[in-house]
Amino acid sequence: MNTSVAAPLLRVENLVKHFSIQKSFFQRDTAVVHAVDGLDFELAAGQTMALVGESGCGKSTVGRLVLRLLEATSGKVWFDGEDLMSLGSKQMRARRRELQMIFQDPYSSLNPRMTVEQTLTEPLALHGLARGRHRERAAELLDLVGLARQYLQRYPHEFSGGQRQRIGIARALAVEPRLIVCDEPVSALDVSIQAQVVNLLQDLQRQLGLSYIFIAHDLAVVKHISSHVAVMYLGQMVEYADKQSLFAQPRHPYTQALLSAIPLPEPGLQRKRILLQGDVPNPINPPSGCRFRTRCPYARERCAQEVPTLTGADGHRVACHFWQEIAVPAASLPAANLLPPNLRLQKLQAAFAPAGAAVVP
Amino acid sequence: MTALLEVQGLKTCFKVEGGEFTAVDGVSFSVQAGRTLGIVGESGCGKSVTSLSIMGLLPKGQGRLAAGSIRFDGVDLATLSAPEMRALRGNRLAMIFQEPMTSLNPAFTIGNQLIEGIRCHRDLSYTQAREHAIEMLRRVRIPSPERRIDEYPHKLSGGMRQRVMIAMALSCEPSLLIADEPTTALDVTIQAQVLDLMRTLRAETGTAIILITHDLGVIAELADDVVVMYAGRIVERASVARLFAQPQHPYTIGLLGSIPKLHLEQHRLAAIEGQVPTPMSQVPGCRFAPRCPFADARCRTSEPTLTDLGDGHEAACWQAPLNPLTEPLT
Repeated sequence: MNTSVAAPLLRVENLVKHFSIQKSFFQRDTAVVHAVDGLDFELAAGQTMALVGESGCGKSTVGRLVLRLLEATSGKVWFDGEDLMSLGSKQMRARRRELQMIFQDPYSSLNPRMTVEQTLTEPLALHGLARGRHRERAAELLDLVGLARQYLQRYPHEFSGGQRQRIGIARALAVEPRLIVCDEPVSALDVSIQAQVVNLLQDLQRQLGLSYIFIAHDLAVVKHISSHVAVMYLGQMVEYADKQSLFAQPRHPYTQALLSAIPLPEPGLQRKRILLQGDVPNPINPPSGCRFRTRCPYARERCAQEVPTLTGADGHRVACHFWQEIAVPAASLPAANLLPPNLRLQKLQAAFAPAGAAVVP
Repeated sequence: MTALLEVQGLKTCFKVEGGEFTAVDGVSFSVQAGRTLGIVGESGCGKSVTSLSIMGLLPKGQGRLAAGSIRFDGVDLATLSAPEMRALRGNRLAMIFQEPMTSLNPAFTIGNQLIEGIRCHRDLSYTQAREHAIEMLRRVRIPSPERRIDEYPHKLSGGMRQRVMIAMALSCEPSLLIADEPTTALDVTIQAQVLDLMRTLRAETGTAIILITHDLGVIAELADDVVVMYAGRIVERASVARLFAQPQHPYTIGLLGSIPKLHLEQHRLAAIEGQVPTPMSQVPGCRFAPRCPFADARCRTSEPTLTDLGDGHEAACWQAPLNPLTEPLT
């Protein structure tokens, strides 16, 4: 790693993406979807930043903008001290060796006409890597993601969803990237398979020193895998913090509602729930001022007039005019000490963890 | 007390190229009036096929009830003719589907679709039925229902459509409601609204519910009793409190370990290795044995049946009850 501790691997500045959906006779935009509206964040090497929010909040668009799979309307993306937005398409393609992506749908993100070996060696050929030992490298990649080497000659339809997701991960790893954008990598998978893939992503990060941008709507998975969390609502970041402080002390009313809305696998647990009214507004015509105000239980006049900016200390930033007045809800998440640990269950579950893996005592 | 619904040895088969496969294999359970039964399992475990079998909605020519009985209020549904079944469906027996986007007809207003169902089962004039439909929309908390009733489904958001589905299902006051993944397609804040609504309506109407989902969180919130399915069979059955506190089947234990806990700090998830066997493959012995860390020779050769462990807690496992605290695991 040639990055120093001080300089972040990735820095995103005032990223904006508007999708034009209607043009006038003179080709001027008459209606745009405000998919991403002024986003800033940083990601250090070896860390995982999660982008969370509900459908339509712009989290997937951010992932695509960072890799320039979509061109941003404005803003800058600095990767390892270089502005990706200023690169030509040829330079950008070369740069993508270090920036890869894992997609949500393991069924549509693999070419059905290519064998696993072809899928894994194509990026090697494109970037001129592992010359003369493609097959060997492809086999190594399968080892890395926990698939048997004899699968090299098989086609995607012969695999289950979880196995396909492993192939997608192997393909992203083929070029030895430093940053991987994971766009909902486990949400299409069954619960038991989801846990396998989450464990795999964590192992690979430790082994290879990868950085992840982890895009997800499942906050429990996010809490498990990420180091920092950015909560998005209608194209804007409403709260940003390291994992511990975000989950222990959610300050934005939207984050609080989001956390309290998640059904917990603890029957009989009494907790206070913040029920939001209504639906997410239309991103073509977002509300004035604070975009969350139409559903916010604390909204006042000022919220309709002024756009709140991200403020706060110690790296915990909140975009709300009144966050200092809003109490942290005590019961949105039960403290771990309220629930006695189930020793029997822990011991039994430890038997499932593969040998050599770190297990909670 | 007799149960409202009593499913005995249900076996459902599907035709495929070159034969038949068994999607649901000898499933038995019952639902008491006013209770909520959760059926939990992963894709392909047979939970949706179970509900389609009860509703008599198996695709014609492909799926068939191969064995077993489904007694609803004392009547075996398998013996009913198509018109008799139709009179029951949407009336005393109703269903909510997973996809609110595809389960409404886009060519008709939601009012049309609601009124059609109501007039099918109730002797009401069009105006009376329309009033009832508006009342139902109000009960599922749709704002300005008098106006909304004349809108087409595409004008409504996913959460709103799911509310319309619920209004439709409840419009004839069913005694049993089958909800197949009712909140899976919804965002979490909308899911919270819909779960809250289902809880309120259940308290108001006393409808019994079969809740089918893969989400153990939703089960914990809504269900009274739970059935865990794996590869077409029931592997465990218990009250919801008991299942989460004292799970006995290794699959349930692994499933609970697979979900990250929002309120606990974990270093690694207890993932279940391997994958669900395909319905075509023949697994000798216990179907979970290839993935089970506790399996021994007996598990691999002979299949366990559901055995009572006390207090109505049943598990289909040779190793149950598992007590690692008193006897160390080998």
